[in-house]
Amino acid sequence: MTSLLRIELRKLLPYSTFWVLLVLQCFLLFVFFYARGNVMVNGQMAGAELYQFPKLWMHLAYVSSFLNLIPGILIIILVSDEYAFRTLRQQVIDGFSRANLVQAKYSVILLLAALLAVYVVFLGLGFGLFYGNNTGNETSMFTNVQAIFYYLVQLVGYMSLAMFIAFLVRKTGLAIMLFMAYTLVVERLIQWKTPDGIDQYFPMKSLGALTPNPHAEVEQLILGASEVLTPMQALMPVVLYVTLFCFLSYQLLRSRDL
Amino acid sequence: MADILDIQGLSKRYGAVQALDQLTIKVPEGSIYGLLGPNGSGKTTTLGIVLDVINASAGTYQWFGQPASQSTKRRIGALLETPNFYPYLTGEENLRITADVKRVDHARIPGVLQTVGLAQRRGDKFKGYSLGMKQRLAIGAALLGDPEVLVLDEPTNGLDPEGIAEVRQLIIDIAAQGKTIILASHLLDEVEKVCTHMAVLRSGKLKAQGPVSSIMAANDLVFISGGASLDQLLQIARTLPFVTDARPVNQQLQLSLQPETDSSELNRAFFSQGIALGQLVVRKKSLESQFLEIIKADSV
Repeated sequence: MTSLLRIELRKLLPYSTFWVLLVLQCFLLFVFFYARGNVMVNGQMAGAELYQFPKLWMHLAYVSSFLNLIPGILIIILVSDEYAFRTLRQQVIDGFSRANLVQAKYSVILLLAALLAVYVVFLGLGFGLFYGNNTGNETSMFTNVQAIFYYLVQLVGYMSLAMFIAFLVRKTGLAIMLFMAYTLVVERLIQWKTPDGIDQYFPMKSLGALTPNPHAEVEQLILGASEVLTPMQALMPVVLYVTLFCFLSYQLLRSRDL
Repeated sequence: MADILDIQGLSKRYGAVQALDQLTIKVPEGSIYGLLGPNGSGKTTTLGIVLDVINASAGTYQWFGQPASQSTKRRIGALLETPNFYPYLTGEENLRITADVKRVDHARIPGVLQTVGLAQRRGDKFKGYSLGMKQRLAIGAALLGDPEVLVLDEPTNGLDPEGIAEVRQLIIDIAAQGKTIILASHLLDEVEKVCTHMAVLRSGKLKAQGPVSSIMAANDLVFISGGASLDQLLQIARTLPFVTDARPVNQQLQLSLQPETDSSELNRAFFSQGIALGQLVVRKKSLESQFLEIIKADSV
């Protein structure tokens, strides 16, 4: 897997599209978290409460989860590029197996998710130390930092879905449209007609459950309770979905001509 | 000699189109094997299947006497259809990826770039290359693993006459090192100039195969006229044992003789029947017309 990742890095590092989207994502993460803290609530800056350790980590994971489309789109571009350049075909000719192709892209997904999670941790530390009223309780700084781990898993889930869609339709534009349509519209429509007890296990809902809204209690009071998995409970379905997306991608590659 | 590639009953169907129909060929070790046929005859499909990127509908193939695997692939260098590289990377960066995939030492890259004449342009992006340079980079990539077998699909496509000559020389040089080369081409003279063995494909069917010399054995055509009526000439010609085919063509009689038969023997035979031929013309059958003959010989 590391040798596969090394090959992927040879393609990625000189690729300007990769850097543009990565920098855009990091910039937007910063802006989102900054903007959310500067909303005035009851004449008070929301940030004062938002940027407090250890609550900060949950807020940060929740806010960051709104920006998962960009890493997904990046993965779609990387996969569909390989079709456009016919390099998947060449790599199979030169000695890769179909499984290697999926593993290589999956290794990029893991790398990107890890990079973004580390970036978000630094973002949290920066905001927390700069804005928060730290009462000297240094031990609480990393309490609840597991929220960022759930965010990492969520990223892997989104990008695995994106990879599968890209392998499925092979065309960049079409894949991006399909990815956005499913994540933003289609599944919600299906959820709408499905009982909560079942739809909580749907891909988008399980993924969303990994980074719950910290104000969920208030929301549920207003909108009525709906059954949602806790992050811990959502972990298993999400891991299963990631495995499924990788397996389906492999099956697509196996059954079709390159 | 062992067979490098053994194809048994390979078929491929794309919807209603039978792209390849029951192809069975063997590629002997050390040969330069030409796969000849017009566009759409199934050459690329055949190579795509044996290179593991196209799934066959039926049939099997073996490399080096064993089923295809990652280890057999690394003994093969191949260029299929188009040069496939990352346009935003330089020629050298692209070869590094190829080398990693093939698990070949990067130290081989400069030598290969030299061989295909791209050493000067190794730092330029692939998208800036001319078609000929792209093709040469692909040949370079195929050579990277020092493969035992080189599979080249239309390797002179897009090259200028000088480039074509260079690539052909390169192929002959590589073959001289005892390597096997499988070459798909729709260019007859390419196959004739380079190959030792060949298979002729048309509409996915095998039309002929064997050593080039035996397929292209030039059965000369002899045209005769005069001395007697065409019918009389025809009757006599059909009794001669060394005439394999006789038919009237444009007020002349077109005869095919058995190999190794001298046309003077023909003249003598007619003379002994009391006919002095007015004209006897021997015409070497062109490779082109033989090729057309082979692919037109539809059994259907």
